[in-house]
Amino acid sequence: MPRILRESLLYISVIVVFAAGCLAAPDFLKPDNQSAVLRQVSQNGILAVGMTLVIITAGIDLSVGRMLGLASTLAAMLLVEKRWTAATYFTVPAAAVSAGILAALVAGTVGGSRSGRRTLAVQCLAFAAAAAAVALWAVPQSRTGFSILSVLVLVPLAGFLLGGVSGVLISKCRLQPFIVTLAMMTSAYGAARLIAASSGSGYIHSLYDSQGNVPTGVDSLRVIDAAQLAACLPSWTPHFLSRSLAEGALRRLLENLPVPGLFFLLCLGAGMFILNRLRFGRHLYAIGGNEETARLSGINVDGVKIAVYAISGMLSFLAGVLACAQYRQGKPDMGAMAELDAIAAVVIGGTSLMGGRGRMMGTLVGVLIFGYLTNILSLRGVSTDVQLFITGIIIVAAVLLQEGYIQRLASRLRFRRRDKESFSRPI
Amino acid sequence: MTFPSMILEARGITKTFPGVVALRNVSFAVAAGEVHAVIGENGAGKSTLMKVLSGVHPDYEGELLLDGKTVRFDGPREAQRAGIGIVHQELNLVRDLTAAENVFLGREPTTRWGLIDRRRMNREAAELFARLDIDVAPDQRIGHLPVGQQQMVEIAKALSLNARVLILDEPTSALSDRETATLFSLIHRLREQGVGIVYISHRMEEVFQVSDRITVLRDGEWVGTVPTAQAARDELIRMMVGRPLTSFFAEDERTTPDERVILSVENLSLAAGVEGRRTRMQNVSFEVRAGEILGLAGLLGSGRTEVLEALFGAYGDRTQGCIQIEGRPVVIRSPLDAIRHGMALVTEDRKASGLVLQLSLRENMSLPSLRRLTRWGMVDGARERRLVDEFIERLSIRTPSREQRVANLSGGTQQKVILGKWLAMTPRILLLDEPTRGIDVGAKAEIYHLLRELSLRRVAVVMASSELPELLELCHRILVMREGRAAALFARENATQEKILHAAAPGG
Repeated sequence: MPRILRESLLYISVIVVFAAGCLAAPDFLKPDNQSAVLRQVSQNGILAVGMTLVIITAGIDLSVGRMLGLASTLAAMLLVEKRWTAATYFTVPAAAVSAGILAALVAGTVGGSRSGRRTLAVQCLAFAAAAAAVALWAVPQSRTGFSILSVLVLVPLAGFLLGGVSGVLISKCRLQPFIVTLAMMTSAYGAARLIAASSGSGYIHSLYDSQGNVPTGVDSLRVIDAAQLAACLPSWTPHFLSRSLAEGALRRLLENLPVPGLFFLLCLGAGMFILNRLRFGRHLYAIGGNEETARLSGINVDGVKIAVYAISGMLSFLAGVLACAQYRQGKPDMGAMAELDAIAAVVIGGTSLMGGRGRMMGTLVGVLIFGYLTNILSLRGVSTDVQLFITGIIIVAAVLLQEGYIQRLASRLRFRRRDKESFSRPI
Repeated sequence: MTFPSMILEARGITKTFPGVVALRNVSFAVAAGEVHAVIGENGAGKSTLMKVLSGVHPDYEGELLLDGKTVRFDGPREAQRAGIGIVHQELNLVRDLTAAENVFLGREPTTRWGLIDRRRMNREAAELFARLDIDVAPDQRIGHLPVGQQQMVEIAKALSLNARVLILDEPTSALSDRETATLFSLIHRLREQGVGIVYISHRMEEVFQVSDRITVLRDGEWVGTVPTAQAARDELIRMMVGRPLTSFFAEDERTTPDERVILSVENLSLAAGVEGRRTRMQNVSFEVRAGEILGLAGLLGSGRTEVLEALFGAYGDRTQGCIQIEGRPVVIRSPLDAIRHGMALVTEDRKASGLVLQLSLRENMSLPSLRRLTRWGMVDGARERRLVDEFIERLSIRTPSREQRVANLSGGTQQKVILGKWLAMTPRILLLDEPTRGIDVGAKAEIYHLLRELSLRRVAVVMASSELPELLELCHRILVMREGRAAALFARENATQEKILHAAAPGG
């Protein structure tokens, strides 16, 4: 099979699925449906972006599903409760520390001088400043309930720290990623339940009040769950922007873009940027391909690994906030087993679990194939049970195709035939 | 011409990989009781031919005949069953299993209940070892054996299926002289028993010593087959490279090092048991001047590799000792520190620690230089491509493109990619561990010339090698290691192979 065909196999498979959708369900191609699919896949997509980075380093992150649940709990409590709760005690310090670490890292690369001691001083200063800024910004909000913007910032920052903890255990203590993230998965779930139960009103934190309305402050949450970008554009953008885009395909597309989908696409874009343009991305491939070579080539293997799990943690917490917005509630059980869907999407996209190989575009394809299949089967009225069964088959088929198994089988059969021909020919 | 005694014959074999023709219409035959050597430069197709013979590559064009009958092996197992055993260049043993378990891997004798019959397995392995005169206990863990004995176990494994053809791919590349001698006597005994042996090597002396016939391959094509008795060394080299090769020992382009000391090492030590290595390293001290090539000689396991790796920070802070670069004391706790101080290390094992096989030539070569090619965390693609192209040109690396995956390149080319990778970061101090291991004559000569050029550019070079002629030719001084200590230091003028061997021998 020619190389060009093998590489475009991925895209061909989406087109096939897409075409199958058009044939199988008349509603499939409608903008509303497409928008709904994008919205449905966005959570899995965001998790899969982080998972791709992790898997490229030959690691795995099993904690993302439970981290999502923890984040949804935190987000709901921060938005609704107007007092210091366990969620505040957890999120604010964690976010402050994360912000501090990020600031110190930036200061180290930008303001680093030849003298190690001076760099360290600059970094300490940056850490203190950033941590203090986050604390000063967040603490007063605890009495009034947090704004949606601050939840969108604080919660993922806390996830960054939690993921970083996994990363430290994996790199510094030389533990298996599978075990560490398995432990993190369990602990995150436990923490989510502890935090959720601490306010005394059960595990589920709904955003609705006793009258069944979403309070006005919390109501702005719908912005990050809007099915159409247009619905929340006017309040965000100056008027001229909406006028400058002429009536046309692009504008319709933009207006119909679901906001969670936009988040997903942004994360995906960032992931592509990391993998294709950043030195950090190149280091991910090198570490996944051969850790010893990477280390001897002067790559800070431990640092890169910590960072990659931190990023995965941050993305899973972001997905948690979006999930909270979508279901108008936060609960520890949200996102159970989501890690497996994310891993499946990444693997369908051609990223090797052995590390060193993989592309973000493949992950997008994997996520879309997943989403479209579920969508088509739902439109056809196929039951969820059957859907799950078929999904399993699709995963295996996709990986077989990826690994070139089918091509090998074909070429072997071809040789068999040729051999037989040569035998039957009289010599 | 098919003699009745030909066991295995290949006719008109052509094997293509995507983008490369590895073998073009090659014919080859091995008779019973014959040692048939196959020589050729890297990328000549020797290993590919062996993989075709042993069923690793089932999709080739042409014909294989076993005892005059056409066969096509669908995999290595079928070839094994047909009596073709192969010992690959890289050892394929499970380190945590015993010698007997390795020999019987995948076909363990079982009891009536389907459990492994450990007693029978050990007994049969012991018989096999005794027959081959191999001095290894069957219940010994493979990981604990020296490489030479591991090799013997590998050969025993290949022969345990009553192999009639034994293919040895570069069997001596990791062996000491004594182990090589043991291997040769084993080969002679097998020949007397009527086993056909295919022997691949880069070392001409060995080929002359051990073989009956020699087949030369070049660029995937058959060049000729000659009886060893009638073969002349120069003629063979000419056949291999396609042109007469002037000996690199002849021309006199000696370089003289400066007085200026670049690297000074005092009492470098490494505690025992670090990273599973049993060799300790104790109080090794030396100096390297600008433009000097310092050789590190010594037997396998004498601590040559450890000196280089410890210098490069590979053991973190478990290394003790004082390192000065250009007169200033430096602390090196990681390879990153070493690189920042302008050091580069070309490791012994290309695949395990030199390259990232999944990545392209470009990505491999720019890896240590990325820091320099980056702005705001982003890799400057244009500059990276320019740098890589420059070194592809300078080292005349033969590759279809810079985007070629390094896994698909030949051994010599891979070695040049590694050299290019380190030269691209313009090192002040270049550490080399067996830089010419397993590569062909042409590539070796190119690497020697490169080292001379680096010496002229005033780079300090430390080079460990187990090939003494190479050290004697290239190095200004040679440090001999013995059991983790510096045993002797010779200037080139008064160094001889005998003196070095004497200093390197344990207990000497």
